[in-house]
Amino acid sequence: MGIYVKVAFRNLLQARRRSLLLGLALASVSMLLVFLMAISQGMADSLLETTTTLASGHVNVHGFYKPSTNAVAWPIIEDEKKVRPLVEEILPDVERVVSRAHGWGKIVSETGSIVTSVTGILPEQEDRLRERLTLAPRSAYMEGGGDEVVGDVSRVGEPGTIFLFANQARRLKVDVGDTVILAAETSGGAANSVDLTVVGIGRDLGMVTNFISFTHKDTIHQVYQLKPEATGSLLLYLDDIERTHAARKELADALASRELEILEHLDQPFYMRMDALSNQRWAGQRYDVNTWEAEGAHGKWVITGFQWISYFLVSILVLIIVVGVMNTMWMSVRERTPEIGTLRAIGMGRSRVLLLFVTEALILGLLASGFGAGLGALFASILDAARIPLPSDAAKTVLMSDTLRLSVRLDQIVRSVLVFTFVAGAASLYPASRAARMRPVTAIHHVG
Amino acid sequence: MSAIVSVENVVKEYPLGKLKVRALDGVTLSFGEGEFAAIAAPSGAGKTTLLNLIGCVDVPTSGVVRIDGQATSELDDAGLTRLRLHKLGFIFQSFNLITVLDVYQNVEFPLLLQGGMTKKERDRRVREIVEQVGLDKQMRHRPNELSGGQRQRVAIARALVTRPRIVLADEPTANLDSATGQNIIGLMKEINRKNRTTFIFSTHDPMVMSQAERVIRMADGRIVGEERRAAEGAA
Repeated sequence: MGIYVKVAFRNLLQARRRSLLLGLALASVSMLLVFLMAISQGMADSLLETTTTLASGHVNVHGFYKPSTNAVAWPIIEDEKKVRPLVEEILPDVERVVSRAHGWGKIVSETGSIVTSVTGILPEQEDRLRERLTLAPRSAYMEGGGDEVVGDVSRVGEPGTIFLFANQARRLKVDVGDTVILAAETSGGAANSVDLTVVGIGRDLGMVTNFISFTHKDTIHQVYQLKPEATGSLLLYLDDIERTHAARKELADALASRELEILEHLDQPFYMRMDALSNQRWAGQRYDVNTWEAEGAHGKWVITGFQWISYFLVSILVLIIVVGVMNTMWMSVRERTPEIGTLRAIGMGRSRVLLLFVTEALILGLLASGFGAGLGALFASILDAARIPLPSDAAKTVLMSDTLRLSVRLDQIVRSVLVFTFVAGAASLYPASRAARMRPVTAIHHVG
Repeated sequence: MSAIVSVENVVKEYPLGKLKVRALDGVTLSFGEGEFAAIAAPSGAGKTTLLNLIGCVDVPTSGVVRIDGQATSELDDAGLTRLRLHKLGFIFQSFNLITVLDVYQNVEFPLLLQGGMTKKERDRRVREIVEQVGLDKQMRHRPNELSGGQRQRVAIARALVTRPRIVLADEPTANLDSATGQNIIGLMKEINRKNRTTFIFSTHDPMVMSQAERVIRMADGRIVGEERRAAEGAA
C-alpha cells in the first residue's frame, strides 16, 4: 500500500499547479462547512445553555390544573410534596430539582405595558440562573444610554422585585430601581396586582428572553392566590445530559404507573399546550413530562433551518468539487496513459490501477479538506474568542446570543474531513475505472 | 531446446476506420529457453505487434500464442496479468520508467506487485540486480537525473528483478547512441548467458542484430527469413 501512496503523492506534487487549484477549492468548501457547523453548534450550545438555565431543566414535570371541565388550564402542580418525592425516587441520577411557579400577566410602567410570562423562583435554588444572567448596558434599553451597567444579578428573585430583559425594559421605558405593576387575574377570576421593583435588566439571549421575567415564587402565589404547597413546574437536572430522553420516558411511564395523569408527549414548550388543554373536557390535575429540547423547540427549528440552508449551500459546492475532481483525474489519466500501459505490462492488475488513481484523489481530499477544516476551526475559534456583539435584535434572536458564538467540535471537523475525502475518492472512481479498463497495448502506445 | 514461447499461425488485424489492417499474417515460430533472439524488420513490418502478443498485452485475432505451454487466448485479463507479472519482463524503447519513483523504487515495484516477499529479501534482490546493471551509485536518482543508457539499464533491472523466464525488448537501443546501445545489448547478453533468461528483442539496427544468436526477419506481417549463429563461447 505504501508504494501506491508514494506514487499517488508524488504524482500530485508533479502536477503541482493543478493539485493546488483543486486542493484550494476543496479546502475552501471544507473550511466553509466547518465554519457553518461551528455557527450551528454555537447556536445549539446557546440554545442548550439558555433554555436549561432560563426556562427548563434537562427534564421537566409541568402541571396543568383545571378546577372544572369548562375551566381554563392553569400551569399548576397542586401539591409539590406529592410529586417531588416520586420524581426523586424514580430518577436517582437527578442532580438537582428546581421548583418554579408560572404566571402570565401585564407588566405596567409609567409609560407603557407589556404582556409576558413571569416566572417565580426560589433564589436559594437558582445559582445556575444567576451565573447565566448578565446585565445589559444602559444603551441596550435606554435611548441615549451609555455602556454603564446598573442593577444586581444577585438580587434576582428577591421578594417584591422583578428582573426584566433589555427588550422588555425598552418597551416599558424603565430602568433599574423603577417600580412596575404586575397585573393579573387570580385563579378565582378576580383582578389582582402587585408593585415590583426592577432589580436588574439582563442582556437579551434570543427568543426566550422576549417572553420571560423573574420574580420571587411567593409573588406569583400572592398575585394568583395559589396555595402554598402549589408550584408550576419541577425542573430536573441530570448527572448526564445524554440521558435526557431515556430519563423522560422512564419518569413519564413510572408516574403513569403510580396513577398520575400524564399527558401525551409533544415536542413543544409546555405553555403552547395551554389553549388546547383549556378546550378539552376534563378536570383535575394532569402532568406534562418533557425535555429541554421541547422547551427550546422554536430554537431547534431555527437551528434545523440554518443547518438545511448550510447543507444545501455546501451540497452545491460539493457538486462543483465533484466535477473538478473528475476533470482533474481525467486529465491525469490522459497524461499518464503510457504509464498505465507500462504498469499493466509489468503486471499490475486492473483493481490496482483503480486503487492508484483513487488513492491520489483520497490523498488530495484528505490533505486539502484537513487543511480547510483546520483553517475553518481556527477562524471560528478566533471569532468566538473575540465575542463580537451581534448588531441587531433579529441576529440575536436567530443566534440565541447577544454575541457571535461559534463552537468548534472535533467530531464535526473529523466528519467534515472524512466526507470531503470520501467525496474526492468517489468522484475519482469514474476516471480511475476508465484507466483500469484500458487495454495495456493501447495504453502503452498512446500518444498524449 | 524446449519451446518456452510458441506462436502458431497467428493473425492480428486492427480496425482502421471501416478497413481492417492485417499487422500479422499467419506467423508461426517458437523460442527455446535461454535463447537470445532478435526480430529484425523495418518499421511497420509487425515486430512490435508480435512482441505485444508474446508479451500478453494483446491477444491475436486468430491463431495461438503459448507461453510456457499456456495458450494466452484461454486466459482472462487477470490470468494474463499474472502471466506478465511472473513469467515475463518488458524493456521498452522509451524506457517507460515511473518518473516519480527513484531507481531503487522503480526496480522494486514489480516485486511489490508480486507480493509474498519479506522486505529484506526484496531489498537484497533489488540491490543485487541494480549492481548487476551497474547503477548502484545511482540508486536514489530519479529517471530525469539519469542518461538514456542509465534509464535503459533501470528498465532492464526492472524487467529482470522478478526473475522472469522471458524478457521482451522492443527496440531497446533505438533511443540510444550506438556505443550505449552496444553496451545495453552486451549487458542483456551477459544476463542471458548467466541466468539462462530468454531474450526476444526487436530491432532494425544491423549492429544490434549481429549480437543475436538467432535473427528472425519479418516483412509485411510475415516471417521472411531466419538466421542462426553459434552462441559466443559455445562449444
